[in-house]
Amino acid sequence: MKRFVVVFMAVMFVVGLCGTLAAQDRLDAIKKRGALIAGVKDSTPGFGYVDEKTREIVGYDVDFVRTIANKLGVKLELKPVTSASRMPQLIEGNIDIIAATMTKTAERAKQIDFSYTYFFTGQKFIVRKGTVKGLADLDGKRIGTAKGSTSEQNAAKALPKATILSFDDYPQALLALQQGKVFAITTDESILANLLSKAPNKDQYEIPDIQISDEPYGLGIKKGEKGLLDFVNKTLLEMEKSGEAKKIFDKWFGPNSPTPLKRGSFKITANK
Amino acid sequence: MQTGFDFTVIWTNITYFFIGRFPHGPLGGIALTLYLAIVACVLSFIGGLFLGLMGISHNKIVRNLSTVILNIIRGMPLLMVIFWMYFFLPALMGKVVSESWTVIMALTLFTSAYMSQIVKAGVEGIPRGQTEAALSTGLHPWQAMFYIVLPQGLRNMIPSFVNQFVSMIKDTSLAFIVGVSELTHVATQINNRTIIYPTEIFLFVAVIYFIICYAFTSLSRWLEKRLAWKK
Repeated sequence: MKRFVVVFMAVMFVVGLCGTLAAQDRLDAIKKRGALIAGVKDSTPGFGYVDEKTREIVGYDVDFVRTIANKLGVKLELKPVTSASRMPQLIEGNIDIIAATMTKTAERAKQIDFSYTYFFTGQKFIVRKGTVKGLADLDGKRIGTAKGSTSEQNAAKALPKATILSFDDYPQALLALQQGKVFAITTDESILANLLSKAPNKDQYEIPDIQISDEPYGLGIKKGEKGLLDFVNKTLLEMEKSGEAKKIFDKWFGPNSPTPLKRGSFKITANK
Repeated sequence: MQTGFDFTVIWTNITYFFIGRFPHGPLGGIALTLYLAIVACVLSFIGGLFLGLMGISHNKIVRNLSTVILNIIRGMPLLMVIFWMYFFLPALMGKVVSESWTVIMALTLFTSAYMSQIVKAGVEGIPRGQTEAALSTGLHPWQAMFYIVLPQGLRNMIPSFVNQFVSMIKDTSLAFIVGVSELTHVATQINNRTIIYPTEIFLFVAVIYFIICYAFTSLSRWLEKRLAWKK
């Protein structure tokens, strides 16, 4: 019996060892390569966009993956991705991590793993000042948003009688609002705040305090890469503790930034 | 927007329009558009010639193969071909293929199919007697094709080639779908950042495409004249 237990323990140990070895493959590959390849957006102001002067990709998402790369002691390599290409790129193994304003959804979590939430926003509306008091004022109206986004689906759910018009991008939606073709624009508040800050007659518009959905952003990692996922999560918690996460938030969305947002009670915690 | 056009947005971003993130990042903008167009032009000229000659081969298998390839490609929108290549090429090659090359391969495949029909028509347009005369001097059928028929045929094909190439230059704008930062993609990025200057930005982009295409047609008209004079 004793002998059986010993053999059993030995087998479990070897299996466990193999498991960890396999799981840490990606992390090792990154260290060996000396570079973390991150998929980021290159035309989403605040999160990932090309700076006018330096022509480099910068933003909130970029600063997060840069910190992770520094902690790993490797270089950061940025690869621009779109909403359509980011998940296939990760699954194919062309990138190690996605930091591209990606909302954590149950559907996406079936294909990839998400880190702890590193940015939290909600879906709101831009309307003409004083026209909207509550959600009821929006129902039955024409609402503009962007094609293929989660915003489109959320709006249809929250406002069943409204006509949802999907534009190719947000500048077009803003133009439609100004020309009176739509009554309101809806998407994540972080994007709306930026839109509003650029509008030529911004004092005529406002973002009322009506939120129709939570949008927690997570970093995407290939399924099964537990070593990398744990490292990223650990780094995120450290960044929150050291105040670096708040510093990055203030840099891009603080009161002195072009698109001030409220971080409120949000903190990076060990959530699902 | 109500105050008329403001083209300063073009000048403040002019370097980005021309070369993208180069030299600290990959080449982009107008330079990348030209690169994609030129490489794809050269490759699809070769591809088109090859596929076209396959189409007039005496070997039935080769001829049918060319017809099958032609019909598959002609039956798909270019956007599909690019998307297809994007996921198919890495699986086929077993390694990472850069997005630029994905687009170049897709454009080459797509344009070659159309070019092959021009080649076929051009070769068939040369009187049969030319081939017969060439063969009677003891030339091998391949030599007859490359020294006698093709040189005459190609001259007649130039206008159709130009047509196809110009349309391909404009098709490079579809590369944005896989995140290649050519001219249109770069313009979209700038538009998303500045938000209120879409008219100015896309007017500029339209002018640039026109200049590139017009320069190309002018060049080929000059080439055509030179070749005609030699004839």
